[in-house]
Amino acid sequence: MSYISEVRESFKAGDSLATVVVPANDYRDITLEIVSKLLGSKLGGIYVTTSRPATHVVAEMKERKASLNDLYFVDMISLTVGGETGDPRTVFIDSPTMLESVLLNVGLLERRIKAKRHFVMFDSVNGLSIYSDTRMLKEFMNVLANTMRLRKTYTMMLTVAEQTPPELESVLVTLSDRMIRGEAGDG
Amino acid sequence: MARSTEPMKATPVKLDPRGGRPREKSKTYIEGLDRMLNGGIPIGNTSLLAGTVGSGKTTLAMEFLINGAKHGETTCYISVTEPSSKMLENLRTYGFFDDSLVTEGKLNIFDLGIINDRLGVERLDGSYSSKDMEALLGAFEDIVDELQATRLVIDSITAVCYQLPDRGSIRNFIFRLGQFLATFGCTTLLISETIVDASTQTYSIFGVEEAVADGVILMGNVQRQGDLLRTMQIIKMRGAKHSRARHLVELTPIGLSVVPLLKWGQETGTMFS
Repeated sequence: MSYISEVRESFKAGDSLATVVVPANDYRDITLEIVSKLLGSKLGGIYVTTSRPATHVVAEMKERKASLNDLYFVDMISLTVGGETGDPRTVFIDSPTMLESVLLNVGLLERRIKAKRHFVMFDSVNGLSIYSDTRMLKEFMNVLANTMRLRKTYTMMLTVAEQTPPELESVLVTLSDRMIRGEAGDG
Repeated sequence: MARSTEPMKATPVKLDPRGGRPREKSKTYIEGLDRMLNGGIPIGNTSLLAGTVGSGKTTLAMEFLINGAKHGETTCYISVTEPSSKMLENLRTYGFFDDSLVTEGKLNIFDLGIINDRLGVERLDGSYSSKDMEALLGAFEDIVDELQATRLVIDSITAVCYQLPDRGSIRNFIFRLGQFLATFGCTTLLISETIVDASTQTYSIFGVEEAVADGVILMGNVQRQGDLLRTMQIIKMRGAKHSRARHLVELTPIGLSVVPLLKWGQETGTMFS
């Protein structure tokens, strides 16, 4: 089954947290495909980016002619690398170590979403592990998963298959309602 | 002996250790803080809002007043260290501030110059005599009484305490101020400047304010990999079953927001005393 089919099935089943394990080579394509298709299904969304500035993601989404009307961003990287920080649909986090700010700002952005149902895309666990140690990441993922469960918000955690240490993967398996692994080469 | 086959009746256990009837609360309307306070600050409490430089004390105190004013209460801010005009200019930089609250008399800002006029003295920058202390107490009481204020902030009680001759006078001053405000049902935050000395953060400079106050809300900073995170912890709050966990405080477009701090992300290990 393709990634987007599995995600749709997971969403329909009422999952709260799904981990999407993506191979490094197809990472960008699969990620953007999932977001574009979900937005095309009249869902609103929040894209948390730890690995690329939100402006980059927006540009790529526009290339795909995705509807961006109801998509908001939490950008954990632009302020660190001196990127553009003027986009009104994006909340810029001071530093990628400030994990609590993500929880807080996702909650605030959820109030701006117009669609009845929405998703949160977390791109990616590997990006966070550059700045925070495993012990703290485990705690963060535990808090995030349970916060989203309480809010009944559908959340996807993206991980790069080749870069996820077994210790983190086992946490994701424990916390997630579903592990989505797709099939190599599909989108 | 034959055993009874009747199931044992369990004694019901109350899950709330405090039980009893909860006090009426003054909601802060600050995202996350009312949850920490189990609904808000008990009405009439006088609490210390203690913290180091840049920890967000004034912003939090102002938002407490502004949110109250937006809900129809009359509120009052007494600035001991800054002119009210400068305070207003700073307030206008916050999205949650609205000038009409001042023009409609819902948010009243006084500075030491205005207090001095009320006291009929030229300056009050030396040590206060007991007569001066009485006059100052009287001035604070008059302001609250005349305005029928239900929320008050004194910024800062530390600056007032510096003028008082000894710890006994400070204790007496805060105790009497608290008593008066409680009878008026005025919920008060006294801003207390603190310092971190040898990794120990105190609740006040003189060490007596916290004993007399009904509550202590401590604000501070935690370092995480070189980044400074603003934090908040409720140390005590009489009449409320409150959280004692350390929380992160962030200024957002809707005002301050508070979320629990991750346990493994607290590097400095600052001790409180």
